[in-house]
Amino acid sequence: MSLIWRRHRTWVVPTLFIAPSIILFGVVIVASSLQSVWISFHDWDGFGPMQWIGLGNYEELLGDPQFYVSLKNNLIWLIIFMLAPPLGLAIALLVNQQIRGMRIVKSLFFVPLVLASVAVGIVFTWVYTPQFGLLALAFSAFGQKAPALLSDEHLVTFAIVIAAIWPQIAFCMVLYLAGINSLSEDLIGAGRVDGARGWNMLYHVVLPQLTQVTFIAIAITAIGALRSFDMISVMTQGGPFGSSQVLAYQMYEQSIFSYRFGYGAAIATILFIIMLVFILWYLSRIIRAEEWSN
Amino acid sequence: MSETPRIQGATRRTVIKSIGAGAATMAFGGLARPAFAQSRTITIIFNSNTEGQIEALRAAIADFEQATGAKAELNLMDHEANKTAIRNYLVAGAPDICFWFSGNRMKAFVDRGLFDDISDLVADEGYADALGGTLSAVTVKSKQYGLPLAGTLWGNYYLKDVFDKHNLTPPTNWDELMAYNEAAKSAGITPLAFGSRELWPAAGFFDELNLRINGLDSHMALMDGKMSYLDPALTAVFDHWEELIKAGFFLENHTSYNWQEAAALLGQGKAGMMNLGNFLKDGLPAEAIPNLVFVPFPKIVDIPRYEDFSVDSVHIPANSKNKELAREYLKAFYAPKNLSAFFAPTGQIPPRNDLPPNTDPLVNQAVESLKTVAGTAQYYDRDTDPDMAQAGLNGFQEFMAKPERRQDILARLEKTRTRIFGPLDA
Repeated sequence: MSLIWRRHRTWVVPTLFIAPSIILFGVVIVASSLQSVWISFHDWDGFGPMQWIGLGNYEELLGDPQFYVSLKNNLIWLIIFMLAPPLGLAIALLVNQQIRGMRIVKSLFFVPLVLASVAVGIVFTWVYTPQFGLLALAFSAFGQKAPALLSDEHLVTFAIVIAAIWPQIAFCMVLYLAGINSLSEDLIGAGRVDGARGWNMLYHVVLPQLTQVTFIAIAITAIGALRSFDMISVMTQGGPFGSSQVLAYQMYEQSIFSYRFGYGAAIATILFIIMLVFILWYLSRIIRAEEWSN
Repeated sequence: MSETPRIQGATRRTVIKSIGAGAATMAFGGLARPAFAQSRTITIIFNSNTEGQIEALRAAIADFEQATGAKAELNLMDHEANKTAIRNYLVAGAPDICFWFSGNRMKAFVDRGLFDDISDLVADEGYADALGGTLSAVTVKSKQYGLPLAGTLWGNYYLKDVFDKHNLTPPTNWDELMAYNEAAKSAGITPLAFGSRELWPAAGFFDELNLRINGLDSHMALMDGKMSYLDPALTAVFDHWEELIKAGFFLENHTSYNWQEAAALLGQGKAGMMNLGNFLKDGLPAEAIPNLVFVPFPKIVDIPRYEDFSVDSVHIPANSKNKELAREYLKAFYAPKNLSAFFAPTGQIPPRNDLPPNTDPLVNQAVESLKTVAGTAQYYDRDTDPDMAQAGLNGFQEFMAKPERRQDILARLEKTRTRIFGPLDA
């Protein structure tokens, strides 16, 4: 018995430990993703029999003006969200100074991360509300009339992204603060001896040591932008008339409200492909950069 | 009595439970039955957190437990969460009693065989006499699939003191409506408080115009997909609507407001009227409610008066495992004593005509008004197919913000209608 155990324990123990997460990942992520792709080839209302329609859902999607609105909005989200890592870094560098009272400032910057995103969305909705919102009151103090941001089909997505980027910046700040704490004192000291300070110090000594953190911050920010859904649901429900929808919200609306699970699954599949392409491209860059630095 | 004591936790727990039950049923292919199925306990899923209503349900549970010796478990779910979760739990892990909406929304589940036919209960208890015409809301092909609950009557609401202050009179026809519009604007208030962020209030306004201009039969033909959205009959509806939009009748930037925020403007006297159901009073401060008055939407064309009157309902899921006990519970719940306690906190119109007289003046106004109505629809998103409704709600909101896009919007709606209901016979 002990012989068998000794011979096999090198693989049995790791397998036992890894098995739960592999099974969970397989059932919850892989299997349901594959099932979504399968559903996307069908006309299905969520309870009745599924009817095979091949690429019908995809053909309809390509002719659906809402799809392009959603795609464009996803792009806006992605581009503006890319401001979060540099802003997070800037705030992290700022609050990392040894100044009295900095702990309070640090925790103030940290607050949005503690709030549920739904709460952030509701608060910003109140700020944007015409007539009695905070924005309207601020404008009226200067005798101006605030634009109704959530009613303007061209501005609404920007208004939501501003609300959503606030916690995202805080998140990047936390990542960078952790990174800054593990900076090598030796390298900074050596840099100082060589006369590096200010921008030079940041660019040539500090940033290269934060490369790993930056990769993670950018990857998580990009995924956060592409899967954005909760803020839109809370703040506008995709409106006015669908102009603030993104792919994730359109998928939800089609599946849950319109009972079109096949069509929703087709949107999900497209979103999945976009994320997959982005992440593969990004991972390949990380791996190349790591090989280069070794 | 073994209902869950905490309201907050119950919502999450119920959702998890129904998801878990669904997963279990899928995993075991329906072979493994949960042990509690054999016990004499029924489960009830209620879709509101209104305290007074929960107490009425508990009183009915007490009566039920005394009469049958069985137990009942009450699960509370958020109103909106129930709308999405119900499709899960009706198929997998059904409760024995659930709350839903009559009309087409009920029919969607009846067509899929998910609600139990309770015509026997209705016949045995003689509910038809107490319910009158309301019974049609839960009837499909002359069989009943649920019991009607509170009804919501749609129309215009105004505050008496605000109208007195600005010397305004409630409009009863189109000319008076346009005159009211000018009078309200020159008094410096918004003629109609309106919040379309949640889309559906725009569809309610469409219903009002279409029922006044084309009448109930034409409206229902459109709802059933038997009439084109490009039909010339609708031209007058959108012409009238556009006239109001251009005259500045609606609250500016209404797509930024939900109905509660719009109701706040009504309550503050910054708006004259609001077009909604009688739940509107929930959005007003307590001191404004005694001043709230209901007035039907103005007459436009000389046809009988039709109104949106949406009726909620209570059902036994077809997959319930205790259908007999569930019927016993419905009997206890539908007894006049418990039913009138159930409606007391909501200000909705009770379905039974043998309940004690109501003390809420707003309810009595609506009941009086309903007596002169020639026929009722439910509401746009309850009368038509859910897929069509979603497209329609978006389209009407867009029309209200950008009336110049009318032809594009209607063409898009017609495309959706064709996809769902098929082409019309020429």
